Amino acid sequence: MKAALRGVKSSRAKALGVSVFVSGVVGCAGLFAFGGGVASAQSHYQSSSGKEVKSVTFTQPDRPPIVYQKPSSSLIPQGRTLFIENCSTCHGIDAVGSSRAPNLQGLGAATIDFWVYTGRMPLADPTVQAIQKPRKFNRQQTLAIAAYVSSLAPGGPAIPSVNVAGANISQGESLFSTNCAACHTITGVGDALANNVYAPSLYGVGATQIAEAIRTGPGNMPRFGNGTLSNAQVADVVKYVLYLQKPQDPGGISLGHVGPVTEGFVGILIGLGGLMLFGYWIGGRAQR
Amino acid sequence: MDKRVEKTTDWLDERLGIAKGARSSLNKIFPDHWSFMLGEIALYSFIVLLFTGVFLTLFYVPSSQPIIYHGSYAPLRGQTMSEAYASTLHISFSVRAGLVMRQMHHWAANIFVAAIVVHLCRVFFTGSFRKPREINWIVGSILLILAIVNGFIGYSLPDDLISGTGIRIAFSIVESIPLVGSYLAFFLFGGNYPGNAIIPRFYTIHVLLVPALIVVLLAAHLGIMYHQKHTQYPAPKRTNKNVVGSVLWPTYALEAGGFFFITAAVIAALGGLVQINPIWLYGPYIPYKVSYAVQPDWYMGWLDGALRLMPSWEIVGFGHMIPNVFFPAVLLPGLTFTALSLWPFIEKKITKDDQVHNICDRPRDNPWRTSLGVGILTFYIVLFFASSTDVLANTFNTSLNFVLWTFRILLIALPPVAGYVTYMLTKETATVADAGLRKGPVVITRSEDGEYSTVVTDDDSSGADVNFELIEVPEEREYRQVVEGNETDRELVGVSESSPSGDNGGVSHKKATAQRSGGSGIFRIPRNLPGGGGLFGGRGLKRQQRDAQER
Amino acid sequence: MSEIEQTSRSSTYDYSSMTGGRTMETFIGALFGVSLLATVGLGVTFWLGGQPQIEGALLFVALAGIGVGVVAWGKYLTPHGPFVQEREELKSSDVDRDAFYKSLERGTKVLGRRSFLGKMLGVSLGAFGILQLFPFLRSLGPVPGKSLYVTDWKNGSQVTKVDGSPVTVNDLEVGGAMTVFPEGFIGNAVDQVILVRPSNFNLVTRPGRETWGPQGYLAFSKVCTHAGCPVGLYQELTQQLLCPCHQSLFDVLTGATPVFGPAPRPLPQLPLSVDTNGVLRSQSGFNEPIGPGFWERGNG
Repeated sequence: MKAALRGVKSSRAKALGVSVFVSGVVGCAGLFAFGGGVASAQSHYQSSSGKEVKSVTFTQPDRPPIVYQKPSSSLIPQGRTLFIENCSTCHGIDAVGSSRAPNLQGLGAATIDFWVYTGRMPLADPTVQAIQKPRKFNRQQTLAIAAYVSSLAPGGPAIPSVNVAGANISQGESLFSTNCAACHTITGVGDALANNVYAPSLYGVGATQIAEAIRTGPGNMPRFGNGTLSNAQVADVVKYVLYLQKPQDPGGISLGHVGPVTEGFVGILIGLGGLMLFGYWIGGRAQR
Repeated sequence: MDKRVEKTTDWLDERLGIAKGARSSLNKIFPDHWSFMLGEIALYSFIVLLFTGVFLTLFYVPSSQPIIYHGSYAPLRGQTMSEAYASTLHISFSVRAGLVMRQMHHWAANIFVAAIVVHLCRVFFTGSFRKPREINWIVGSILLILAIVNGFIGYSLPDDLISGTGIRIAFSIVESIPLVGSYLAFFLFGGNYPGNAIIPRFYTIHVLLVPALIVVLLAAHLGIMYHQKHTQYPAPKRTNKNVVGSVLWPTYALEAGGFFFITAAVIAALGGLVQINPIWLYGPYIPYKVSYAVQPDWYMGWLDGALRLMPSWEIVGFGHMIPNVFFPAVLLPGLTFTALSLWPFIEKKITKDDQVHNICDRPRDNPWRTSLGVGILTFYIVLFFASSTDVLANTFNTSLNFVLWTFRILLIALPPVAGYVTYMLTKETATVADAGLRKGPVVITRSEDGEYSTVVTDDDSSGADVNFELIEVPEEREYRQVVEGNETDRELVGVSESSPSGDNGGVSHKKATAQRSGGSGIFRIPRNLPGGGGLFGGRGLKRQQRDAQER
Repeated sequence: MSEIEQTSRSSTYDYSSMTGGRTMETFIGALFGVSLLATVGLGVTFWLGGQPQIEGALLFVALAGIGVGVVAWGKYLTPHGPFVQEREELKSSDVDRDAFYKSLERGTKVLGRRSFLGKMLGVSLGAFGILQLFPFLRSLGPVPGKSLYVTDWKNGSQVTKVDGSPVTVNDLEVGGAMTVFPEGFIGNAVDQVILVRPSNFNLVTRPGRETWGPQGYLAFSKVCTHAGCPVGLYQELTQQLLCPCHQSLFDVLTGATPVFGPAPRPLPQLPLSVDTNGVLRSQSGFNEPIGPGFWERGNG
């Protein structure tokens, strides 16, 4: 017994032991002394008064939250040409619709702008839900088509221009989680709904198109009129959606903001899987 | 011997008498195999959970009290939220290392349950639950339930929008229990949903009640394992009455201790580099708000999947109702965990196998158990994937309705198919000599006429390995010789050679020694070792022969 | 490396003869050194205010350095036998068992003679335990009573938005949806109602509900009849409500009857009317309990 222990207590083993001890102690100190001790005091984040404190906004009094603007009428001839070339096969020359496509008269410029500028129109396949594709027309061409169609009949909202800088992001979060998250998910990644319908991802959509979608309710999306969301509220939602497109991810790789599904796979495959590789190294296989 | 060590040992030994037990512990042998590390991963991630959990309790406030948030996360500033949620935001954004600790805690929980489940599969498919280990199987099953329950409750504590919806579903599930459901739900939640009692109560359960139970049962689990000695895989020179492996001091102690640090390291890497549960994006829980694509953590997935796949049935009659959610969310887990914990006894009813098994079955050597296990596992895996029907439909651009119906059909069709395929595979491999063994090289020769011939050399590596020597730990042998050599000692014990006793805990060495010197007839040696007999017995021919030789 | 291999495979037990593994020793020492450096880095990171990714990476290096080093030490620089140990039979000897029975009997015999006392003790203990359960349970929460059957929607309750303003008949465009509450109960979980407007005309979802949908306004309890999630998802073209949790689908125009998924019952419909100021009001409360099922509910 003594002989064996003398072996273990050789000087190099002792040196290794000291290293382990030092590393361990410093590691623990790092974790708990620093992590816990230096942490800032609690209750920084709450107000003692129970009353709602008005959040600070940076509204510029001279700029309303949303300005609706009809596209310039000088674009109408260009729009007419583009419409006849690209849209009239289904929607008809006067945009009154056909058995294959709906009547566009009276829908307003915002609707046309949304469908065309997000690339949903022209359709690739008329039988399935329009999906966002690389857009076919540039900004001016899109506005021209919108100008032409909205000139055919009155009605519908014009094209909104959102004052994002003046909007309140916190109000936006609250409104988003009440009205939008049920379909688009709380992180805005979108998801499949029933019967082949789906709520698209909100990533990469511009402020104008977000406001247009809210106001016009494209496809299966409900319409949010003035009585449901005021212009200021729409601007708030737009600001929050723009934030969601590039949210704070202080925790590291975002895993696509899909939530527990991907987290579970990462935990099992990378976490447990990686540990099992280490386990394989340590334990090895049975000798035969 | 170092004077200080000797002094400390003397001091302790005179008061506690530890030297005897400690000696036998230091000489204890643990079998080596990668699959035996799974339980260790679970144990170590639990320790990480305790450390990170204690850190989180220093900052988390378990209260549903609504407050106005004025913290550093701008998109929620000025909103009304529960103190629990606000304090979780505080941990994530303002406490130093808070976010890493929170994420490590969550990742550790995911890995904890995953390790338990895979460990359970290992024990099941190798038949390691058989006599004498039935009690430890039950303890392990209860540990799994506790881990899942505590995981769900911990996931709910931040009181964010997604976990809050989970609590809402939990209320409905408790409410659905016949006879007492609505009362139970009201008692648990302190009134009708949502109430303001559930967060503080969940907190007490999460940090006190369940962890205490887990610690106690874990101690029992390890204690029983230690006392019974670990199982080992069949291999040359391993028998039902020996243990072959590494000695605890220093080899196994170093390997196991180091593995704790490795586990903590992997969890730390995930905790710092991969974002989990970004509650600031989910917002505070408000009962009328909801997000689509709400999923629970993975280990609750099978229950969520069952809720989704359940047809819209409800039993109504005699002025009472058994609600829809009762079947998938109460009955299914009830049956699952009952059958799970009683499995050793169910199998024994079938096999009538009453022998002691210290050698693991290889899964392929037991086609019935393996295929049954695979079938049942497939059932739960289908349920697990069914919990993300919406995400799958979105990812693969198909209709949600189609995905749901596919899963309903798969749930019934896939388990028998998987079980059958497994059965055929195991049957096939069991009849092939040398299945799973490393083969000798195949020599292909071409004769002068151009004819090819294949010769399988019998030079498999297993043949060479049989020549190794098993070593008894010298200190243990020395100790035994000293004790055995003392004849008066043996007479003092007064145990006849035909009535042995055993206690490997190091308490009654003298008896154990007497029994060892007694030689044969002490152990009841099962007829068909290793692997045992019974219904599940089919073994490779070559291996059987080799086993016979060994004996 | 061959040196190491040899050491790990060594069948000799004598530790003092283990002089090999210099390379491995250097390697392990380096690992511990790296770990030490990472720990120092961690301290600096904390000192400077902390950053989750740097913290995670350094924690990983610090812990993995120790872990891998210690395991390698055990795996490559200690003899591996293979060692063998006998398993003693777990079963006690017959002598021990007999002795145990005798000791046990000493007590049971004496106690068994006073069987009355034993029974009495059992009864008292049981009664004590059961009685203690009552105040415990009753303090936890109230009994359900009628609270699962009623909501705060009454005859004439004003339909109110989340911000507290009343809903007038022009507030929702056709194809719009909104979450509403009875006045004075905003945010109350059981009172949440999803208000949709599929058309401009009075809508009848089923016989007996002729006056419930004035000017195309339909109101349904937002609490799913399956597991209680808020049914917040309105597919406007197909006129369906979808529950985000388990994908129960309700057909709005036939009175929110479930057409797909696990929900067993329709969402209860709230009868609406429009008052003289154009404000929406409920004609009465729900005519059935809202939300998921429970034992006492029966079929109503």
